[in-house]
Amino acid sequence: MIGVGQAGSTPSRTISRATERDAWIALAAVPGIGPAGFARLVRHFGSAAAALAAGPTEVAAVERLAAESAAAMRKIGAAGARSVAAGLQAATRTAGGRLVTDLDESYPPALRTLDPRPPVLAVVGDAAAFERRAVAVVGTRRATGYGMATATDIADELARDGVVVVSGLALGIDGAAHRAALAAGGRTVAVLPSPIDRIYPPRHRALASEIARAGGALLTEVPVGAVIGRPDFARRNRVIAGLAEAVVVVEAPDRSGALLTAAAARAIGRELYAVPGPIDAMASRGCNRLIADLHASIITSTAALARQIGVLRGRPAPVIGGLSEVEGQVLRQLLERSGSIEELVDRTGQRPASVASALTLLEARGLVDAFGGATFHATRPARGLTGSI
Amino acid sequence: MLANALSASIMGVDGMPVRVEVDVAFGLPGLTIVGLAGSAVLEARERVRAALRNSGFEVPSRRITVNLAPAGLPKEGTGHDLAIATAILVASNQLDGSGLARTALIGELALDGSLRPVPGAMALVAAAAGAGIAQAIVPAENAAESAMVGGVTIRPAARLGQVVRHLAGVETLRAHRANPQRADPDAPIDAPDLVSVIGQRVARRALEIAVAGRHNLALTGPPGVGKTLLARAAAALLPPLTEVEAAEVSRIHSVAGVADARATTSLRRPFRVPHHTISTQALVGGGPRIRPGEASLAHRGALLLDEALQFRSDALDALRGPIDAGIVTIARVDGVVALPARFMLLATYNPCPCGWFGITGRDCNCEDGVRRRYQARLSGPMRDRLDLVVPLESATSGHGAPGAAEASARVAERIAAADAVQRRRAGAPNAELSPDRISRSAGFGPDALATLEARGRQLGLSLRRLHRAGRVARTIADLDGRDAVSTQDVDEAIAFRPKELAS
Repeated sequence: MIGVGQAGSTPSRTISRATERDAWIALAAVPGIGPAGFARLVRHFGSAAAALAAGPTEVAAVERLAAESAAAMRKIGAAGARSVAAGLQAATRTAGGRLVTDLDESYPPALRTLDPRPPVLAVVGDAAAFERRAVAVVGTRRATGYGMATATDIADELARDGVVVVSGLALGIDGAAHRAALAAGGRTVAVLPSPIDRIYPPRHRALASEIARAGGALLTEVPVGAVIGRPDFARRNRVIAGLAEAVVVVEAPDRSGALLTAAAARAIGRELYAVPGPIDAMASRGCNRLIADLHASIITSTAALARQIGVLRGRPAPVIGGLSEVEGQVLRQLLERSGSIEELVDRTGQRPASVASALTLLEARGLVDAFGGATFHATRPARGLTGSI
Repeated sequence: MLANALSASIMGVDGMPVRVEVDVAFGLPGLTIVGLAGSAVLEARERVRAALRNSGFEVPSRRITVNLAPAGLPKEGTGHDLAIATAILVASNQLDGSGLARTALIGELALDGSLRPVPGAMALVAAAAGAGIAQAIVPAENAAESAMVGGVTIRPAARLGQVVRHLAGVETLRAHRANPQRADPDAPIDAPDLVSVIGQRVARRALEIAVAGRHNLALTGPPGVGKTLLARAAAALLPPLTEVEAAEVSRIHSVAGVADARATTSLRRPFRVPHHTISTQALVGGGPRIRPGEASLAHRGALLLDEALQFRSDALDALRGPIDAGIVTIARVDGVVALPARFMLLATYNPCPCGWFGITGRDCNCEDGVRRRYQARLSGPMRDRLDLVVPLESATSGHGAPGAAEASARVAERIAAADAVQRRRAGAPNAELSPDRISRSAGFGPDALATLEARGRQLGLSLRRLHRAGRVARTIADLDGRDAVSTQDVDEAIAFRPKELAS
């Protein structure tokens, strides 16, 4: 099945997959048509190719078109979607990247949960970075030392736990997060507000190429060669939140761009965490408000974050296979209800020795945790596996 | 005229032979004691004078000088009284000194001339034996422990007069039976029996493991859950002392003067339960006269710190040295004294001041800061030295039916068997083995080692923690009568590790 558009579902106008892909690339490059507008057009016309064939006048009846958008569409109409797409692809390749559309297998799986979502992305680096668990670490460009240190700690912890750190390559918190993830030997993904051939901010060009070299990726909605005035941070931030399972706002003053990412995370149902700051710190007011308004969970330590997210240092992704009978029994009991070892001995009818060693093994696999206390709990990864036990 | 006799003095838990030299000369009548004599020794002047007179002897109206050699080392205690009195008799020609050769004289004199027991008789006799004596005359009450020193004839005496008549060859003090009679090992021990502990199967298991390998164990939980009961039950679970260990233990207890004759000759392991108000010195030893503390009195046995967090934190931290090295080292201007102190640590404590933190279904009403400060009383390094930590929940809140619990005697049998295995392997309990001895022991196969290392990575455990877990795993296999340590043994050992405090 192909993406949002019901391409091919209209029997009268059957379009080849390659033609439709070219049409997506060309249509997505039209300035002024965002993901939402794109989705509406594809839905209305049945396919992107059909929308292009209809021309700007018919399109304008559905979607409000700016003058420059109409001009761009006319240009595509003249040159043909195929050659426009080929030109964009060639330019992207020259810049060291490739185009990925929603019609492609390699489209980041996490973004497929967004509606609407970017129809076409330019990607530099390793697509494998999109296949792993990812957490976004974002914050203000005017970070304090506290913010930088905390961002570094958090990204370091996450990277060591094998989590991909997603951020926006901005100065301040974003940069600290990317750098810490790289230093920890982890993968990191930068979502750019600019085309891949014009890294924004320019000061982070070296960092950007380092990210792509180290198993991570650069990703943007903005096509190569697009004339950008003010970078569209809001659209960029939504992609950041979309790529991650959770968003951590490390430091953000009132009206910070990071708060847009936070709002996007809430809107699309991603978990939101915020690092608290002193109540008189302007740089943390946004974070503190997120916490006070119960929009974000408070983070009290990097380890606590890792626990809440369900990853702990050095733990491999939980492997459910190969549990012994006792281990399976203990885990099933804990999924039902948390309890102490003593209780588990009673509930499973096993010997204390067997229950104790089973708990250690389950804990080592990241399936249970006692959080330092007497009561053991099944962790989030274990809950995600209930079907397979 | 000059005379001398042999006695001994205590330094730390060791004795040192002391030669008592007496000179009786013309001059202003008086009795002077020199040779770094402590106040108890100086008071011997009055006791000796009265005891001689009341035993029918004469105190010469001369200038009497008593020197305690080696004169440079401090002397303590009242055990020199008998030697001083006897030497005065020889120096004043009231007794022939030939009988004094190769004889040690130890004992405190009462004013009426009777002999009173002294602490540390065993160490004193042992020191004198090292100086080459053939017989030792000691107060009757000290005879049993003194007799544990081999190669010396022990002659108990009740009065100064008896001693003098024996030395003069008029009558003979009967030698104490050389074969020391151990106290009946089956005598009931003053400890709760595990049969009375309801439920708590996990804690019982941990207790059995801890005692078997002499690992350090902490039991935590709300008030009234049975922590203290379980910990005290350990007294009846400890395997008997070996003869060599018994000699060490007896000497320490004898020096400290805390034991009666029965206890000092017992093969029962010491079980010390100091009160939480104890000072650091009383816990690890020290003081102006260096005395063994509770840590040394628990040597080869167990030290139970009930409500451990109520102890002064400096006192707790002072236990770090002995837990690591098995000895307490006390440095003084005139030298370093080492007191043996190899014990298993048992500790009980509440998780927070109100006692209910982390207990399912209960609310703790302690403030975070208060709780953190409370828990911090057990410092990180001390926590690190615990091998097993078991959080207890009250049996009534649990779901266990109070079944027929196993009696202490049964558990003690298994522990004794595991203890024998450990002795055959290394001559010491597992807790005392170096990490190398554990990991290179034949039964610790590549699987167990790999599991240990993997858990270290997965759970973020320190090397010290892994070493400790390795020892505990070794004990678990020993309890099961297996030479091979399994990966389950390793996992069980790790399950009982101290966990990081919840934040």
